[in-house]
Amino acid sequence: MTASALSRPGERERVSTKISQLDWRLLLLICAVGGAGAMMLYSVGGGSWSPWAAKHLIRFGVCLVLMLGLSMINIRYWFALAYPIYGVALFLLALVETPLGYTALGATRWLDLGVTRIQPSEIMKIGVVLALARWYHGASAKEASFHWKLIIPVAIIGMPFLLVAHQPDLGSAMLIGLTGAAIMFMAGLNWKIIAAVAAVATVAVPPYVMFGMHDYQRHRVLTFLNPEADMADKGYQIVQSKIAMGSGGLLGKGYGLGSQSQLEFLPERHTDFIFAAFAEEFGFVGAFFLLSAYAAIILISLRIASLSHSHFGRLAASGVIATFAMYVLINGAMVMGLAPVVGVPMPLLSNGGTVMLTVMIGFGLVMATRVHRYAELPKGHGLI
Amino acid sequence: MSGEPSIFFADVNERQGSFLRRTFVFGGLATLGVAALVGRLAQLQVVQAQEYATLSSQNQFNFRMVPPPRGLIKDRNGVVIAGNRPSFRVLVVRDETKDLDQTLDLLGRLLPDTLERRRAIIRDVNASSKFNPVPVKSDLTWEEFAKVNLYANELPGVMADMNDARYYPFGGSFAHVVGYVAKVSDRDVKAIRDKGEEVPPLLFNPSFRIGRQGVEKALDEALRGEPGGNRVEVDARGRVVAEDVGGSRPAVPGQEVVLTLDADIQNRALEVFGEESGACVVMDVRNGDILAMTSAPSFDPNLFVGGVPSSIYRALADYERRPLLDKALTGTFAPGSTFKPVVGLTALKRGGDPNRRIVCNGAYYLGRRFACLGRHGSQDMRSAIKNSCNVYFMTLAVEVGPDAIAETAREMGFGQTYDIGISGQKPGLVPDREWRRKNPVRGDGKWYPGETPSYGIGQGALTVNALQLAVYASRLANGRKAVTPRLIKSIGGVEQGGDRSFADLPYDPAFVQVMREGMEAVTDVGGTGFRNSQLGLGDIRMAGKTGTAQAQNYGAGSRKGAGRPWAQKDHNLFIAFAPADNPRYAVSVIVQHGGMGGGTAGAPRAREVMKVALLKDPEMRARMERPPAPEPTETTDLTQPSTVEPAAPTPEAVDPLPPSTEPRL
Repeated sequence: MTASALSRPGERERVSTKISQLDWRLLLLICAVGGAGAMMLYSVGGGSWSPWAAKHLIRFGVCLVLMLGLSMINIRYWFALAYPIYGVALFLLALVETPLGYTALGATRWLDLGVTRIQPSEIMKIGVVLALARWYHGASAKEASFHWKLIIPVAIIGMPFLLVAHQPDLGSAMLIGLTGAAIMFMAGLNWKIIAAVAAVATVAVPPYVMFGMHDYQRHRVLTFLNPEADMADKGYQIVQSKIAMGSGGLLGKGYGLGSQSQLEFLPERHTDFIFAAFAEEFGFVGAFFLLSAYAAIILISLRIASLSHSHFGRLAASGVIATFAMYVLINGAMVMGLAPVVGVPMPLLSNGGTVMLTVMIGFGLVMATRVHRYAELPKGHGLI
Repeated sequence: MSGEPSIFFADVNERQGSFLRRTFVFGGLATLGVAALVGRLAQLQVVQAQEYATLSSQNQFNFRMVPPPRGLIKDRNGVVIAGNRPSFRVLVVRDETKDLDQTLDLLGRLLPDTLERRRAIIRDVNASSKFNPVPVKSDLTWEEFAKVNLYANELPGVMADMNDARYYPFGGSFAHVVGYVAKVSDRDVKAIRDKGEEVPPLLFNPSFRIGRQGVEKALDEALRGEPGGNRVEVDARGRVVAEDVGGSRPAVPGQEVVLTLDADIQNRALEVFGEESGACVVMDVRNGDILAMTSAPSFDPNLFVGGVPSSIYRALADYERRPLLDKALTGTFAPGSTFKPVVGLTALKRGGDPNRRIVCNGAYYLGRRFACLGRHGSQDMRSAIKNSCNVYFMTLAVEVGPDAIAETAREMGFGQTYDIGISGQKPGLVPDREWRRKNPVRGDGKWYPGETPSYGIGQGALTVNALQLAVYASRLANGRKAVTPRLIKSIGGVEQGGDRSFADLPYDPAFVQVMREGMEAVTDVGGTGFRNSQLGLGDIRMAGKTGTAQAQNYGAGSRKGAGRPWAQKDHNLFIAFAPADNPRYAVSVIVQHGGMGGGTAGAPRAREVMKVALLKDPEMRARMERPPAPEPTETTDLTQPSTVEPAAPTPEAVDPLPPSTEPRL
């Protein structure tokens, strides 16, 4: 494919052209990690396709098709729908607070639609990215750097953050907040503000941990600081996870032979702690390759973002990547005992439909940015 | 891709430039983050891998203790008197029960008696760790066991298994001497800790039982054995996934203990007491082996193994005849007239003449009147023993004095305890002037002459126990050696008791012979024990001495004891040995509050027990079936246990001393 061919009128709108514009390296890496997830779920499921591995694979397949489908949609439509999607997501998040919200495990995170339950916080993860990208697309460099109008992106992040934190779902709130912060950063936020916020955060976090958190959240944080003191509960998870990884050694115990995960010492081995199970069975070498794959996905996606002709495309793609990177880093730090247990899964690897859907929709957006990198978008602010 | 924009293009606007720079920063930070994770992984998986591998195998593998079977306790002939039997039990694992109350409801339908103990069961189960099986009922019948197994699916967390339980096949016969085992109490644990020792983990095993009395207590550590371990692979819930046979260690059974006791004699010795209270000890006069040692009434030690119900325990503890007390070792009584040979020996030792005659007019006077039981007239030492004449021995006692009597008493085995391997002996008391000085009456440490006549007939402060009486009877019967008792024959196949050669008695054997002749006369026509001492075993005769110990002061009036409450009757004692002409076995019997006259309650019991001992001896059987050779041909050393082939014709057991027709000393 050459530039001249692409410059022919109508050529870029052809599906075959679009398919040829997909980033195959990224696609391959995503499939590899998703496949590794299915493989690990087969192992921790006791060498069985049920209950997790088969479902994971089917879910991954469906999401892959969805991702490819979304990547064919011109980012003009993403651009046009950015605010509405955000609005709907915010509306649904607010609905969770009403009696329509469904409570499970002590947190109200779900909306019961009768046929299915949805988690508006997941939609919001995409919604915030789109809304911020949309707003910065119309903002000048000065407005993005240091301006009173920055209240708007802060509000775009703040409203869902507070709603999600109130559910309470600290993990998702954190992801939304950090993703938003990452987009603001990449949009050109003034370093002075960044320094100021960092300073305030350093001062304000300890009191927040002590007084502003729910008991179980505080417990998690304190447990993280001294896991051995609470072997029975949250500390047990961290300690067992470290034992799983550490005992895997350089080359691992072998596929399906991880005693920590097979004998169920490792908690949540199919969701939050699946990375530990992987590291136990495949050792440092295997885990290194897996982490490299994640790093490659992040860097390739950032490159895709940088190639976009539109500011919206750049920020939307990098926002999605920020979310993904946060997932990987937080989960990785958590299972290795570097961060509190906050219930953030390892994307593509962990069992669980919602996160898979969110991440794959996100990659659909990244792919769409890549395929439609020459798309011209309207200038300036505007709701649509 | 020449058409693509780049940060190096001149027309890059400010926003794009900023974005690209920031993207580099972000990408760098993300890469740094991943690198940090890789670094952490390297730390965990490469640097600390060994440490975590150890922790992982500690998680994965567990040692389940396998309690060792307790060592058997056998009698001298290899008959098991304390063994182990399989017991079916039901256990509950709290972690696996969904609802403990509901589970116990269902279990109650199968085993109704668990309902009664429900609160105790719930307490036990909740006190134990979640994964630990807690026994809720032991000793199920086969039907109950089968029923529980049948309904196992509907009873999550309930399981039935088989373990070893201590069993005493002879019930109460050996209850005091062998003792019993019971659950480990907090006091046991504390006692070990107070000694500054480590409590062995075996003690915390729910099926472990600790020795509580007698041999079970004294040799507890030898009987325990070494626990084994099953190396098992467990999952996070503590459930056993697989057994690692290679890593398992079998339990080492406890050592086998063989006692000198003979189960048949022991059983008979308890049997003869019936409802009466007392003690009986049988000894081999040649080697000191204790063949029987019983205390009556007894109790069933099997009750204590699984935990004795408090109602039964109270009944045992409150009964006035004290079944829980070991009267053979801890019950001390005045020996009464059984003590008279000691006084006789003392006189002979001091140069007295056994043929010296003393006239009994029915009383002895020293400051006051000391009554005799009859008017015996002129008596020599043999007839005085035969008739149990108080006057004769009171006269001798006053002549030799208390210190000389005490010396002989100790030489004959009183006033001391013996190292027989079990604890709980009471030494009794052999009084002398020295003792009186230390234990003055009303501030006066002087021995009054008026105390001596009573001493001469085995009354007063003097107390002895049944074992000492048997040792005394054995020494009289042996005539030469100061035999000492032995109870533990071997532990784990190692012979116990060390050097079994005894010191010589410090008397001319002829002195002892006088006493034996007197005792032979006791059981002969006209003696105090004649009626109840006839064995009916051919020409084998039993010699003995009766005794009565006052349980309290009666003042004037009948001492017959008829119509008195049990607790006010006299103690009835009897010591005996047989065959009279060549003694093998000695018996002591104490019948607590058995009434007056050792010949009535003590002698018939001693006779019955002696008969069993004699009938079990092949040499004796041979003698019963064949009359003894008319002339003794040689003497045998009494201290050597004779090894006799019952079939082979043997030189008949012979009196080791010159015949009694020889001139006497």
